[in-house]
Amino acid sequence: MSAFTDRAEAALTDRLLKIAVERTAGTAETKRAAAVAAFPDFEAARTRAAAIKDHVIAHLGAYLEQFEANAVAAGARVHWASTADEACRIVVDICKAAGAKTVARSKSMLGEEIGLPHALAEAGIDRIETDLAEHIIQLAHERPSHIIWPAMHKTREQVSALFKARHRSPHEEESIAAMAESARRELRAPMLGADVGISGANFLIADTGAVCTVTNEGNAELSLVPPRVHIVTAGIEKIVPSMGHAIHMLRMLARSATGAALTQYTTFYTGPRRPGDRDGPEEMHIVLVDNGRTKMRGEGLAEMLRCIRCGACLNHCVVFRQIGGHAYGGTYPGPMGSVLTPALDGLRQSRDLPQACTLNGKCQEVCPVRIPLPTLLRGWREKSWREGLEPTAMRLGLGVWVWAARRPRLYRLGAAIAVRAMQLFARRGWIATLPFAAGWTRHRDMPKPARQTFMAQYRKERGK
Amino acid sequence: MSARAAILGRLKGAEPDRAEADALLIALERPRVDEGALEAEFLARLTLPSISATHAVIDSMDALPSAIARYLVQQGQPLTLCLPPDPRLSGCDWSAFTLHDSAAPDEAAALAIARKGIAETGSLIFETSAQAPMLPNFLTLHHIILLAASDIAPYLEDAPLPGLQPRAHYWITGVSGTTDIEGTYVRGAHGPRFQHVILLRQRRDVA
Repeated sequence: MSAFTDRAEAALTDRLLKIAVERTAGTAETKRAAAVAAFPDFEAARTRAAAIKDHVIAHLGAYLEQFEANAVAAGARVHWASTADEACRIVVDICKAAGAKTVARSKSMLGEEIGLPHALAEAGIDRIETDLAEHIIQLAHERPSHIIWPAMHKTREQVSALFKARHRSPHEEESIAAMAESARRELRAPMLGADVGISGANFLIADTGAVCTVTNEGNAELSLVPPRVHIVTAGIEKIVPSMGHAIHMLRMLARSATGAALTQYTTFYTGPRRPGDRDGPEEMHIVLVDNGRTKMRGEGLAEMLRCIRCGACLNHCVVFRQIGGHAYGGTYPGPMGSVLTPALDGLRQSRDLPQACTLNGKCQEVCPVRIPLPTLLRGWREKSWREGLEPTAMRLGLGVWVWAARRPRLYRLGAAIAVRAMQLFARRGWIATLPFAAGWTRHRDMPKPARQTFMAQYRKERGK
Repeated sequence: MSARAAILGRLKGAEPDRAEADALLIALERPRVDEGALEAEFLARLTLPSISATHAVIDSMDALPSAIARYLVQQGQPLTLCLPPDPRLSGCDWSAFTLHDSAAPDEAAALAIARKGIAETGSLIFETSAQAPMLPNFLTLHHIILLAASDIAPYLEDAPLPGLQPRAHYWITGVSGTTDIEGTYVRGAHGPRFQHVILLRQRRDVA
């Protein structure tokens, strides 16, 4: 079995994981549905959001240059990184030049993608994760399992035990509010004392040079305003032409992610502290990261660059809801992760991910920028087949199927025998075990098939 | 070759057409706001569970200190307040208060003046300047915000400033909250746990 199937199998037998994922993803699904229903013509708004992103991606180079010129005019320093390693090196060098011993980090999936936590640790720089969920997984030495709720895999009971073991003055009352208060006490002083603040960017505004961050906790502002240096790491696809375009995307992002009309804190940072300002960083650095994005744009994955990292496709994915985020193995889980990971890490290492999909299309239905995720996943499957990456058993099995499918009479006979044989294994409408199909039935039951094949029933109906 | 040249080299393409970008914003889909009842719409948003702000109305700047004092007493808080160095506040009588000009890490209450309120979302709009530090608005437990009723605008599109941008332009829509543990909403994750809006119905006093 592959590493993915091992992880997925472990996840399927983890009862607590299922409870934890279902609690958060279920709530997110309900809230999004209510927010979308209350919005006038959300479908047209999705089409507009996709068109905005497509426009940007078509003119990405020019918009990046415009953003750079405006950010520099506002006093920021703009750096460019082709690879993850290059981006990490730039960030670590800025930290070292600032004499930084500690950095406060506001949650950023790009930071996870480029391996920034690891690079900071290697450089001997202490990292304070300020988002509550990132704080939880930092204490637990784990990776994020969701792009909006990185600690989705943890139950309240597990978080409580973790805080009691690791916080200096932990909560006494067993409530989520008391746990959040414990984290607030634990984080406040180190966060305010950090030498450097590091964030991602939800949007980069080309015509002003501003960097937009959104949070509900306010941790981005508390991480980025007190330190002397603010570093932004941003994927180059985060550009929008103007504030007006950003506003439309913000309306889509909040509703799709959490079901809110807007996040509690939306901040546009344009350069460092100005003369007379009482707070704010003295230096602002923006690292524009490619890490495979220009290649995706040129090789048939441009639509994936529309992604605004809302997590809606994860919350609505039947596979994600069963196995959680860690089983996927990459930085990005769920449907969007299954498209991105082969591009970022290579198809050979991640060919299982595009297969871990029922192609039910739910992810595409809820995507605020209309990414055709099932089509892109099928594209990876086809590429995997073309490049000979599918295992021998799969190639042989499909070969047999193709041979039979070209002989309709034989195929129908085989199907009729299979349907009758499956009846023998059914108990009360379900098949719990089936020879040669343990991989399917180990973790789920199969519904008892109809007594006759579709073609047999069709012929019967037509003959009436 | 520098990373910049390499990335831009891979992205060669036509210059964006400004008209094409602008056309993407024509006839926007957005929540409907009754522009004839902006104040009522804005105040209705403040009562949403996701915001849960309280509010009071005053008719002159002279009434501001007593309105803040009433709120703090109701909340069982001492009359201690972090005040921004904004000249519009210097004419008020703050003698009943212990004033802080910068926020302590555990600051109990801070006042800020919003440039705008947005009826669509209940957002309050701020910019940094020498008279308007940012940090107190995120450190304090009770965030008290003065807003002129005439500064309420319908849509988020009304929030940005034209031209040169301030260091930080920010929108606050409720209090610091989190759903990071099992998706359950909790207030006061890092920043303010309470928001109190004081609406001034006499525009010229805040101008």
